[in-house]
Amino acid sequence: MTLLTVIGQATPSPVPAPGAGLFTSPFLLSLLIWVPAAVAVALAFIPNPRGRYDTLIKQIAFFTNLGTLFVFFIGYSQFENFLPTMQYEEKVPWLPAIGVTYHLGIDGAGLVMLMLSGLAGVAAVLASLNVRERVRAYFALLLLAQSSVNGAIASRDMFMLVLFWGASIVPIALLVIGWGGPRRISAAWRLVGYWGFGTAALAVGALALYTAAGGTSFDMDHLFKATISPRVQLGISMAMIVAAATRLPLFPLHGWAREVLAESPPGVVVIVATAASRLGAFLILRTIIGAEPVAAHLLSPLLAALAVLTVGYAGLAALRTLDIRHAGAYLAMVPGGITVMGMAAVSPLGIAGSVLGLFAGGLAAALIAGACVTLSDRAQTRSMALLGGLAPRMPNLGWLLVIAALALLGVPILATFAVNVMTFFGAFKTQPLGAFALAASLAVCAVALAVILGRVLFGAPNADAPGVSDVSLGETWYLGLLAGALLWVGLFPGGPKIPGTEVPLFDPGLINQMSAGISDIASPYVLPTPAAPATQ
Amino acid sequence: MAAASGAASGSRPGGFAFPDPTTALPWAVPLLLIAPFATFLLALSSVRTRRSASATAMFGTAVMLVVTLLVLWGLTRKAAPYVATYQYINLSVAFSGPSSFQTFTVQLVLHVDHLTVAALLAIELCAFIALGWHQFMGRAEPGAARFHAAVTALLFASSGILMSWDLAELFGFWMIGGALTYLLLAHRWGVAEPAARARVALALPFFTDVCLLSGIAWLYSRYGTQTLDTLVPVLHTNPGWTVRSLVVASVLLFVGVGGRIALWPFTSWITQTAVTAPAAASAIVQSVWSVAGIVVLYRLTPIFASSNQQTMQALLAACGVAAVIAAALALVGNEPRRAVSLAGAAVVAIAAAVVINAAYHPPATYAVAGVAAVFALAPARAGALLAVTTISNAMRTDDLAEMGDAWRRMRRSAAALLLCALLLGLTTTGALALGVSTRTWLGVALGEASLLVAIAALRVFFSVSFGPLRRRRAFEPDRVREPREALGWPYWFAVASAAFLAATFITAWLGFLDGAKHPAPALIGVAVWVAVPVLGFIACAATYSRGRDGALAATALGGAWLARGTALVSAGVERFVVAPATDIAGRLGDWIPAGDGALGRLATASGQLALGAVRAPALPLVMALAIVLAVVFALLAPGVAR
Repeated sequence: MTLLTVIGQATPSPVPAPGAGLFTSPFLLSLLIWVPAAVAVALAFIPNPRGRYDTLIKQIAFFTNLGTLFVFFIGYSQFENFLPTMQYEEKVPWLPAIGVTYHLGIDGAGLVMLMLSGLAGVAAVLASLNVRERVRAYFALLLLAQSSVNGAIASRDMFMLVLFWGASIVPIALLVIGWGGPRRISAAWRLVGYWGFGTAALAVGALALYTAAGGTSFDMDHLFKATISPRVQLGISMAMIVAAATRLPLFPLHGWAREVLAESPPGVVVIVATAASRLGAFLILRTIIGAEPVAAHLLSPLLAALAVLTVGYAGLAALRTLDIRHAGAYLAMVPGGITVMGMAAVSPLGIAGSVLGLFAGGLAAALIAGACVTLSDRAQTRSMALLGGLAPRMPNLGWLLVIAALALLGVPILATFAVNVMTFFGAFKTQPLGAFALAASLAVCAVALAVILGRVLFGAPNADAPGVSDVSLGETWYLGLLAGALLWVGLFPGGPKIPGTEVPLFDPGLINQMSAGISDIASPYVLPTPAAPATQ
Repeated sequence: MAAASGAASGSRPGGFAFPDPTTALPWAVPLLLIAPFATFLLALSSVRTRRSASATAMFGTAVMLVVTLLVLWGLTRKAAPYVATYQYINLSVAFSGPSSFQTFTVQLVLHVDHLTVAALLAIELCAFIALGWHQFMGRAEPGAARFHAAVTALLFASSGILMSWDLAELFGFWMIGGALTYLLLAHRWGVAEPAARARVALALPFFTDVCLLSGIAWLYSRYGTQTLDTLVPVLHTNPGWTVRSLVVASVLLFVGVGGRIALWPFTSWITQTAVTAPAAASAIVQSVWSVAGIVVLYRLTPIFASSNQQTMQALLAACGVAAVIAAALALVGNEPRRAVSLAGAAVVAIAAAVVINAAYHPPATYAVAGVAAVFALAPARAGALLAVTTISNAMRTDDLAEMGDAWRRMRRSAAALLLCALLLGLTTTGALALGVSTRTWLGVALGEASLLVAIAALRVFFSVSFGPLRRRRAFEPDRVREPREALGWPYWFAVASAAFLAATFITAWLGFLDGAKHPAPALIGVAVWVAVPVLGFIACAATYSRGRDGALAATALGGAWLARGTALVSAGVERFVVAPATDIAGRLGDWIPAGDGALGRLATASGQLALGAVRAPALPLVMALAIVLAVVFALLAPGVAR
């Protein structure tokens, strides 16, 4: 027996996923960013006289997204969940004079975000199959939006993060302007205004961090390891919270959400409600929870308050509105609030819950907003005063809307259940009042959902309402994909196993893969063991 | 050769031997979950007609019943409960700190003991009989496949609740059950009133479900575990435990369970939907939740008991008050299904008081008597609901004052109602005789509640069975007939309830349920507690024989006052809580876009420019230019910077 064999046997190693080592690419993350961008450019140049190649363009966009999702799924399967370090890293000097590098990399949270973005990309194309006007430009912009969001997720350099963060505004705003509803101009401006303000806050925070860390590098590995005084940490964190609150959105910086999610076409709603807006929570995780523990501890009550206000406000506003699209938009804010509460818990379990919440919350938000938009399209009205008794007439959409409502409330067998359990279990130690207030706010959301479902689906049909039709195949597929992903992760959070063994079938389990790096992020927040049992 | 022949014949068994039923447990116990889930999928996906949906659901329930009996047989040969564990979530979240918080685990623990099996039997019997009744009496209900799918899924959830030993798992099944309850109670799609009334069935129990989640989360955040096996032993030994934390957890858990077993003031979700939901749905929901809820309450009592005396007294007081008020409310108003639902809620409150009282006065051997009482209650309340629904459907009214003469025109339904009403009044006598002293204030309160329940249950029978059935507009009394197909089903409820009720007096049954030895109750105690509802029956009979119309007028007046009071409270809540809150939210919702209006006007010009840009044919060129510029900048920038 050689020494190597002995060492190999003594070293504990996890069970490898099937197909491990099949695909290793040093360009995986670059592929996810630049392939959609390249295809977008190619689409923009394809001659398309009188829309002759509209179908081809849709197919190209669909298979580009499906292909990148497939490639990423291989990367996801091969992700080493026991490593605390960044994986699939790419690092090339870019602007050495100011310390900017082309640095990409992901840990468990980044993996979750990219998986969400990939699914959202496919769902967005499926949701956009009904687009008839300027198809070429629409799909080029959709791919550009996805590319920039992927870039922001994978960036390990603050300068690049700001660039990608800001870059995602342009295609999304153009999509809203070009293909939105009657109030699209106003919606697009709000998006540009709020997200632009957020980008400015992010830039300010990034520059402050850069300066405080010595002004030599924008690399996050350098910035997050620098010793920064608590006062400066607090200032930087406040800027980051403002940036995040404009994106996620969090009350009171949510002014864009109602108009954008209500006026955008379904495909854009999916992109915005999923990865593009979850970037806000991801930013808090990266730059505050993962980098500035002192500020995180100090600001956790503020984060908890923002989370509670967001969920409570969303529930009350949804209760009051008579516009089904507005109701969907308000309710889409709820998962973001829950995700932020997980972070406000500043406990390992709460943080893990918020990481899973990035994925499940994004899907739930897109599902409720998308279902409401599609329902209003199919029912030819947005007014809940007219909508009524639709369940028997559009059963597929009715069920999908019910699943969306249950997902928002965190009903089991859906991924949001695991999120809610982890968030609440993690939060009751450190933020008991906030957690209970959030729970009460969720009850308000339940009331709002009961009223909406009761009125729109189960109530009496309105004879004066316009004619309705059930969802088309593309719409069923896009909503079904979102609901299916929620169901899959809810049923198999640890992935399906070969019966009787611990060997994963084909999916190693999102909850297993996301755990990479969480222990490291959470290490400053581990509570000490109490000294001795109390004698009472 | 002879030796070989002898050996061969000698090894042959002498006669038929039953297989060892314990060997069936590893597959039979998971089948208790798989069978209803498979039936749910089948009913939802492959069934189209009403008859086939009903047959599928009844078949699935019958399979569950058989499997439950098999498990029961297996458990009789086994002293310890059968436990199977499957991992759902196992996540490492920290490498330092208390070891209990380093890994977060949620397990699918299937913990089956005698109590679980008995509770499952009670639930399955109720569901099976109610489905049988619905097969004929629910022919006019829409969405047969949907209804039967929801019922089987509720059975799946209730199996999960009863077998759960991990509190996170318990909450999971609890929420599934809650969602299905809402879908069942809001079953009549396309009609305004059921949809409006079902709102409360989602919102109110969801609030209490959130309390349950908060209680479980609170415990986890203090102890780092949520499995009852590991949690209960460390309640007073875990580092950092405090009485305060146990008090908070106890109150939250009690409210969480209290919402689903419909302890007053959480009764409105069953009373408001009693008329607007399909009767079978209402009966199944009330039976399932009362049984599942009381079993969960029983299992959580060690946590309550570990808090402090004041908390236990408060919980007992809450149960006592809930029992008295629910029973008193059942006496007013002339809506028969509401009265039956409230009487049932009062009985559950009495049983809950018995369970908690036993934990408060150790040794807690009689807690299980309260659970056994609810096993008897579940079929009785379902039977009473379905019998009175049959009568009120035939008489086309939900007002007791307009009903009557059912004893002559619908003898069998009226007799079934009588049996179920009597059983409803008597169900708690065994538990009270075993678990509550008549000399305590709790005994007085529960005795009063028991008396009122007896009166409330029997008054429904007297109101519908005797007195004139008057002609009304579009209603001809002579056309009131007994629907032949539904005749037998409420009787089966009565039989099941009577069997469970008789068992509550047998200490061997209680011992079978909790594995402890129980001394027989004092005969005088039993006599006293039986005398209380009997006194109620006699008082009710006397009142109705003296003046039925006067009694009904009085209850109608009480009901009107109650409705007025409720409306006043609702209006107050609407005016002072809901309206201001939604108004603030609405104003904020309007104000933010209005505040952005100036910004929007400024943007209009640029937006139009952007719109023009999108429409312009030069878009590809602009995009290419942007990308080329970006590439050039990226390539040249280092040099420029230097």
